[in-house]
Amino acid sequence: MNVSPQAWIVVADDASISGLLEAARPLATTVVALVVGRRSVADAVAASGVDRVVWFGEPSDGTPVEAYAPAVGRAIAAAAPRVVIGPATDAGRVLLGGVAAATQAVVLVGVTSLSLDGDQVVVERAVNGGIALRTDRVVAGTAVVALTSGSAVPSGAPVAVEETDPGALLGVRVTARRVSERVGVDLGSAKTVVGIGRGLKARDDLALLEDLAQAAGGELACSRPLAEGVDWLAKERYIGISGQTITPDLYLAIGISGQIQHMVGVREAKTIVAVNSDPKAPVFRECDFGIVGDLYSVVPALAAAFRSARS
Amino acid sequence: MKIVVAYKWAANPQDAEVGPDGTVDWSRAKGAVSEYDPVAFELARQLADTCGGEVVGLTVGAASIDSPLARKAALSRGLDSLVMVADDALLGAGSTRLAAVLAGAIRAMGDVDVVIAGESSVDVGDRQVAMTLAGQLGWPGLNSVRSVALDGGEVVVEREVAGGVETLAVQGPVVLAATADAALPRVPGMKEILGAAKKPVQLVDLGSLDLPEAPAGLAPVATSRPDSGNRQGVMFDAADLPAAAAQLTAALRQSGVL
Ligand SMILES: Cc1cc2nc3c(=O)[nH]c(=O)nc-3n(C[C@H](O)[C@H](O)[C@H](O)COP(=O)(O)OP(=O)(O)OC[C@H]3O[C@@H](n4cnc5c(N)ncnc54)[C@H](O)[C@@H]3O)c2cc1C
Ligand SMILES: Nc1ncnc2c1ncn2[C@@H]1O[C@H](COP(=O)(O)O)[C@@H](O)[C@H]1O
Repeated sequence: MNVSPQAWIVVADDASISGLLEAARPLATTVVALVVGRRSVADAVAASGVDRVVWFGEPSDGTPVEAYAPAVGRAIAAAAPRVVIGPATDAGRVLLGGVAAATQAVVLVGVTSLSLDGDQVVVERAVNGGIALRTDRVVAGTAVVALTSGSAVPSGAPVAVEETDPGALLGVRVTARRVSERVGVDLGSAKTVVGIGRGLKARDDLALLEDLAQAAGGELACSRPLAEGVDWLAKERYIGISGQTITPDLYLAIGISGQIQHMVGVREAKTIVAVNSDPKAPVFRECDFGIVGDLYSVVPALAAAFRSARS
Repeated sequence: MKIVVAYKWAANPQDAEVGPDGTVDWSRAKGAVSEYDPVAFELARQLADTCGGEVVGLTVGAASIDSPLARKAALSRGLDSLVMVADDALLGAGSTRLAAVLAGAIRAMGDVDVVIAGESSVDVGDRQVAMTLAGQLGWPGLNSVRSVALDGGEVVVEREVAGGVETLAVQGPVVLAATADAALPRVPGMKEILGAAKKPVQLVDLGSLDLPEAPAGLAPVATSRPDSGNRQGVMFDAADLPAAAAQLTAALRQSGVL
């Protein structure tokens, strides 16, 4: 299959596409946004600096983004661009699944860098839960990439929104929506983050950690089992490959074993401190400072030391 | 109704060895039902028990995914039967190829109403196979599913979205990926483990499936080991905790992070 020197961005009813755009621009002469979702999203995307916007029209009430997966697949297969970039979100994965089915290309996930060598796309990505990195060259067909979508793009002069018929949609509709109250957490910009894991024995004991986070002037976070399964902390607070990736100056891993899926989320932390009762816990192989001990006695001592050091 | 559970027999990367050049050696890592897939088994069983129907397990991969242990591990988790495509031609297959083979097997089974998958596989973890499978079948795919039920001919699904929960109604067959905590998987007891031996297993020949042409796609360029940051690994003695804590804060001060 011959591909055109274009990059297509798949937009899943969310105009926060800075990450997708930045990745797409160096790879192609023309960047085309394929917008699934509302007109307001298409308009915002049209002013984000893309060269063309193709829009599937206003979705009827209750039609989810996912209903357009085959339409997205058809559009991409017809355009045969060099690269397709979509958001690594729930809906994005479904749309890219439509592209994969239409092109038989593999969806590249966990991508850490994209570049162009001649007219071929070269992709570096973290594989197997982040234990290794591999670089591949896309030698035939379209490169299909899932990426973190980023933020909204400052608006400039808009291009025209070209409306196109999506053809048949899938038979799925939203019948109800329940809003859950959400706590705003911004782990991303926190300088200090205190992470707690299954070493914690009871939910009430979180008070100890909240106190430490306060003493250290940081945010409280956790490993996945504390947010899913036991539900002691909000899902927005768990760190790792399926949760948040953070880049604080200081990360304290308390009662966390340090499995790869967790540690991938804190690799970029400047300094890592580990507290664990098991001297053989893998977290000690990836920390700057460690204390082997019972968190129930170590944490209060740390809180006291942080308070006196910071006062 | 016919419910298929797509599950993976896979090893945990935690048990793999990564060489300095980034090559991954799985020889010491043992296969198991992938970490989050038991949630899919449980959702499928509950759906079949409330709506009537059968639960068929489906897994595809290299020849090593089929062993007496692997069969028992799957069949003791609430399945009525098991279908496998185990062929070394699938060694290292990417998500699109795996999804194509799953789609081929599902088409060959016929009359499938719902496919339930796990959130992500333990060894690859791309969260993509199930949604590419939906694409290959031309069925809707939905992620982050918390519950599934049948309501007069329609499949009713609850899924998590940013800021809440949505209910969706699906006409016709659908592929669902469960959230990691959609259900608490039952631990198979002696009865289930013994019962597993009596359940039917069908081995499907890869060559018998109607598959799209395998993509030429990728040529490997390099592998490497991620930088684990060359951490200092300084340990403080917990015998005298106040002293250890003071040494730690002093060290953090010195590193400029406190
Ligand atoms: C596909 C996939 C994706 C995943 N994604 C993520 C992810 O994004 N984030 C994530 O966190 N996990 C993720 N996981 C799960 C991950 O593999 C681990 O299971 C999880 O991180 C373990 O959490 P933990 O360290 O809190 O618990 P455990 O591994 O149970 O560790 C608890 C630790 O506490 C210590 N401890 C016990 N008592 C005390 C005490 N009194 N004082 C001090 N220490 C004590 C123990 O020695 C142990 O090391 C994922 C898994 C898979 C398969
Ligand atoms: N080889 C496979 N056979 C059957 N199901 C699979 C296979 N690989 C992945 N799946 C399913 O797809 C989900 C997501 O896998 P992944 O895209 O690898 O993260 C898994 O939890 C399984 O339910």
